[in-house]
Amino acid sequence: MRILIDKMKKLLYLLSLILIISSCRKEDVYELNEVHASSYNANKNKLKSSNQFISILYANLFQEALSANELFEISRCIQSIGDKEVAHEIVFSNFMNKNGVIIPSDSMMRYDLDAFIEEAYKRFFVRDITEAEREFFISFFESHPYVSAEMVYMAFAMSNEYQYY
Amino acid sequence: MKRREFIKKTAIGGAALSVPFILPSGRLFASSGSRMANHVVFVAFAGGVRQQESVLQQYLDGSQDYPSAGNIMYNLLDGTAPTDKLVYGTNNENNENIPIPKLLSQTLQQQGTLFKEVNASTVGHYAGVNTLLTGNYMYSQGLRAKPLMPTIFEYLRRHTGEKATKCWFVGNGIGNSIPLLDYSEHDNYGSQYGANFLAPTITFGDDGEKHLKNAKIYHPDDELDPMYKMKYFLDNVWYSQGNALPTIGNTVEEKAEIKQFVKDMFVKKENGTIAFPPSASNNDGQTIGYACEVMKRFKPTLTVVYLSNVDGCHANFTSYLQSLHSADHAVGHLWDYIQNNIPEMSGNTSIVVAPEHGRNLESNNIKDANAFYGYDHSDSNARRIFNLMAGPGIDSNLTIGSETNGVGDIVNITPTIAEILGFKQEVINSGFVYNNNSFFDLI
Repeated sequence: MRILIDKMKKLLYLLSLILIISSCRKEDVYELNEVHASSYNANKNKLKSSNQFISILYANLFQEALSANELFEISRCIQSIGDKEVAHEIVFSNFMNKNGVIIPSDSMMRYDLDAFIEEAYKRFFVRDITEAEREFFISFFESHPYVSAEMVYMAFAMSNEYQYY
Repeated sequence: MKRREFIKKTAIGGAALSVPFILPSGRLFASSGSRMANHVVFVAFAGGVRQQESVLQQYLDGSQDYPSAGNIMYNLLDGTAPTDKLVYGTNNENNENIPIPKLLSQTLQQQGTLFKEVNASTVGHYAGVNTLLTGNYMYSQGLRAKPLMPTIFEYLRRHTGEKATKCWFVGNGIGNSIPLLDYSEHDNYGSQYGANFLAPTITFGDDGEKHLKNAKIYHPDDELDPMYKMKYFLDNVWYSQGNALPTIGNTVEEKAEIKQFVKDMFVKKENGTIAFPPSASNNDGQTIGYACEVMKRFKPTLTVVYLSNVDGCHANFTSYLQSLHSADHAVGHLWDYIQNNIPEMSGNTSIVVAPEHGRNLESNNIKDANAFYGYDHSDSNARRIFNLMAGPGIDSNLTIGSETNGVGDIVNITPTIAEILGFKQEVINSGFVYNNNSFFDLI
């Protein structure tokens, strides 16, 4: 009888050991990958001064700095016209007529619309595009086959968000 | 009718009458007054003009102790020109000083009403022009800040529903914070009722030649339309998160018209066909020439032209006299151009001319090449100005007030313009003008 009890105890220990080992099985762990994204409006709440605005735009378009003299002259031109939207449009389109402006070709733009518009948001607004914005622009480009990269850049340069930092 | 029913119907009727209606222009109520003229040109004859060299016609007698008196503003004022020591004209090739020939067959004084002695309580340029345009003394108004009270442009556009391109402010430069005067920061008014500002000597000067002249004119349907659609989308997204920018409310068509105007002016400049006065050697003359072009193109209801070359008086009295004489010539040309070259405005335009302040009685110590002393603007003599107006419904050949009997104040100008254009009551009702009287009320 005593031998039977000893055997039963051993069996019980063995069973417990098996249960403990099997209960320590590694389970799946679910985590989120970190994604670096700018906030929706990139916390822009300060209006660029006229000089900042022109300098930044020039650097965006020509990938080089505007000279101090030219900055002064362009700033005076903008001040001389009351409707700033009109003044900016005239100055920008004057830039577009200059040599050295760096804009993707229309074929490059059409080759990968997604990449083009993403790059435009980063270049002008210093933030990521939202899905709603992507949806609008892709569908706009598809329904307006003659929209050029220059026209898109003009629209971004004239936008109100571009006036803020 | 039972009493209760009568009260009910009266209340409904009264409410219906008092409920404002939105006009197509977006304004509430139509302006209540009738117009004396459909257009007003207000020349801010600014820079600080002494009474002694203008309406008092003392020439060198009242400033340099030299016994030569006479009228050097013979397009605006009656009076014979000086005959001795002429320094106010332009130099010919023999270096002789030749006065600019008279342009108008009848002076503006003969055509209208002159208030000979008017008070101007501010003696700074920006504060003075600010008062001219707002009808209010804003003693707490800072420099480099937009007017605290509504401007005449905002009163006009808000209460009569005029489009932005019917309201122009043409300045002779961008100094003295002048570009800030196109609209105020007043909560009830503001940018959406502002004027189109233009400083043509900059826009079409060397800087403009370099940075504006070669602007592309995009095709309105094929290029501008999709461009604006993309911009509006971007702006709409931004408005949900960010701040709106002030805009004076030019429509797409008006913007296109302004851009075309700028383009055309460069062509006209190159061809030498800008409507400059016959003698337009300084900024004021050039500004008047472009103001004529603005009026010819847009037929504005209100045009304000700002001149200021006479401010050279601080250090160069001779140049002050020349500028005063040139400004008189330029204003004469402006009036003549309206009558003879803009049929839509001819006979239907009133002109108002007034300095923003005067200059001192006593000179400073700065002598010019003719050994003439300069004059600043800080004493009580600097508070003396004149006001001249002419046009339909304005008495002709009438002079009010004298050196010893001042009548009128600089703050009467805003109600005067409002009265000519039929919205004086709205301006008074706003409660933002210093004085409710126009110059017509003082006759």
